[in-house]
Amino acid sequence: MAGQALARRRRASRLHPVRLVALTLFCLLLSGFAGAAAYFFPVVVAGVGQTGQVVVVPPSNSPGVKATPTPVAAPGAPFTVLLLGSDDDGKNQSPLTQSMILVRVDPSSKHVTMESIPRDLWVPLSTGGSGKIDGAYAIGGPAAAIATVERNFHVHVDEYAWVGLVGLIKLIDLLGGVDVNVTNPVLDDFYPNDINVKFLYGYTRVAVLPGPQHLDGTNALRYVRSRHDDVNGDFGRSARQQQVLLAIKAKASTLNAADLPDIVSALKGNFKTSMGLDRVRSLLSLANGFDLANVQQIVLYVPLYTSYGNGPAYGGQSVLVPHWQQILAVTRANFP
Amino acid sequence: MILRRIATILFLPMMFAFGSGVYLYLGTMKSKVVKERAQLPTVTKPKFLLPGTMFVVQSGRLFKLKDGSFSEIGPAGDWSMPTLTPDHTQLIAVLRAAQYSDLYLLDLNGQIIRRLTHDDSRILDANHWAFYPRVSSDGASVFYSYDSPKSGYQVDFAIWSMPLKGSQTQARRHTTPDPYPYIQRTGGDVSPVAISATKFLFVRHSIDPSTDVHTEIWLQERPSVLGYPATDGKPLTDAAQSCSQPALSPDGTQLAMICTDGKQTGRLEVAPFNGSVLGPARVLLTGGLYAQPTWSPDGKALAYYAPTGAAGHFELWYLPLPAVATPSATASASASPGGAVASAVAPTPTPAAPTPVQVTQGVDLSATSPPAWY
Repeated sequence: MAGQALARRRRASRLHPVRLVALTLFCLLLSGFAGAAAYFFPVVVAGVGQTGQVVVVPPSNSPGVKATPTPVAAPGAPFTVLLLGSDDDGKNQSPLTQSMILVRVDPSSKHVTMESIPRDLWVPLSTGGSGKIDGAYAIGGPAAAIATVERNFHVHVDEYAWVGLVGLIKLIDLLGGVDVNVTNPVLDDFYPNDINVKFLYGYTRVAVLPGPQHLDGTNALRYVRSRHDDVNGDFGRSARQQQVLLAIKAKASTLNAADLPDIVSALKGNFKTSMGLDRVRSLLSLANGFDLANVQQIVLYVPLYTSYGNGPAYGGQSVLVPHWQQILAVTRANFP
Repeated sequence: MILRRIATILFLPMMFAFGSGVYLYLGTMKSKVVKERAQLPTVTKPKFLLPGTMFVVQSGRLFKLKDGSFSEIGPAGDWSMPTLTPDHTQLIAVLRAAQYSDLYLLDLNGQIIRRLTHDDSRILDANHWAFYPRVSSDGASVFYSYDSPKSGYQVDFAIWSMPLKGSQTQARRHTTPDPYPYIQRTGGDVSPVAISATKFLFVRHSIDPSTDVHTEIWLQERPSVLGYPATDGKPLTDAAQSCSQPALSPDGTQLAMICTDGKQTGRLEVAPFNGSVLGPARVLLTGGLYAQPTWSPDGKALAYYAPTGAAGHFELWYLPLPAVATPSATASASASPGGAVASAVAPTPTPAAPTPVQVTQGVDLSATSPPAWY
């Protein structure tokens, strides 16, 4: 009896070929999963830290504006994103948003509308009082920026995305640069010299020459940030920002999931969004299908949409006074 | 028991190797835009043998393309815009620093012969930019874009010239950027094409009363007087067409240019030119980011830059021109109402579309530097 039991135990302890194959496959699956997990680990960390930012926007009294956040729009339904860009160079503890672009994406018609909001627009801020619209983010973060835009422009913002200067440089460099047709020379003798330097308040000279060219991150930033020698000032800069955004979109449309860790690494600390990873991923795949011909660009130029103002009424600042009738008409038509 | 131990010993490294393999494999799955970086031209082999010798620029480095291979020339630095003297014995190129740029005279091996301009200053806004050098057909003068006069925020290029054998103190300004009163700040005048010591083409960036910026090719026929620009320049192209990057054929009878209609992409066009007006343009290529058309030494082909592939690197292309009879510039001028804009006639499509040939691959040449070709 004892001998038979020992023989059974020996037989049981021997690896049956089927069990061996199953065990091998399980181990390979496990190790493959571990390898993939290690590869995408930075994405997961960023997903927790930088995407899906919860923003509670105070309710708006503007007609037709729903409260934010709202339930996630149904797949295929149009949605509006507020893109915010900041000089996160350390000069201000709370950075201003020097670039504010409302983007409406309609996945079903593959149509995109971009409306640049001038940084100097003098508006009632959601946090109280009036000021330049670029201060809303500095005072109250993304919630205040969204609420200020919603209340003044009578639009509903579904999501926001914020990117800092260094993040933009790194993102464009990661993409290997962007192709842009520079319409006229961009010359600036007073361009802020505040990237990778100790003294943040110096100036440098910039010359971006006209014509089609491949811009790296640093030169692309100079192109979208310079404004002193542009006859259209901030408006010219807004148009250039939209141009580079479309160039980034053209490049990003060829990205795939394996690029995500590099993208996350490039944008580390320089990017925040209310969108979840799944929405970011679906946006990337959507970018593939959009034709530049279906992108409508709106810049709120003087004198139709705005006029220049300064003096005590505006805190002694040079501002842009909104012509709300015209602004609301064009916004309502394009951001229904 | 022993088998289990052996299996464990075998399985652990196998799992580690497989996990690492998956990690590395995912790394190889990155898209081309992330993976592809430009190569040095000298490690590449052109796909097409160009006739003659050409000088091109990649990331501030000068390269000579001759007999189907690239060689780097010149000292280290941020070089751009090489252009040949009419006798093809010397080059003029731009050396750019962070705050200024200067013109240099080089031999054909890139050795510096002489620094032509001195645009550096310890005071930031007293620095200057000099770009787009072109030597007049008699070899006496070099025309270029120079950001003077300037004041405060207002910095615009004007067209200047200086004696090739003289000094910068002898330089004369030939244009006043932007004729619109009081406001400038469009970037000004660029890309001079010297026809003679006193006659040249250039690209003007101007604005209209609604502050729309336009790009036009202009002809300036009179020299500056006592250092002040003559004022009888005239546009050769229509503002709405947004034409720029003019390149005059070796015999001076045809002008190649890029027209965009204010859009991102554009057309490569060639129009007859009688020294005074442009005739109707032939559209050679359309719908691309074409840059810096340059005539072959025999005038029978064009080279230009255009981006290729997912990486969007600007590569060199060769375009043999179809032999077609083109209307004369004079005939078109008489049809042009007012005579102010000679080529307002709509461009005519070429009957037999030429086929471009890609010359370089994966090098990303500087698309703002016209090639020099002889």
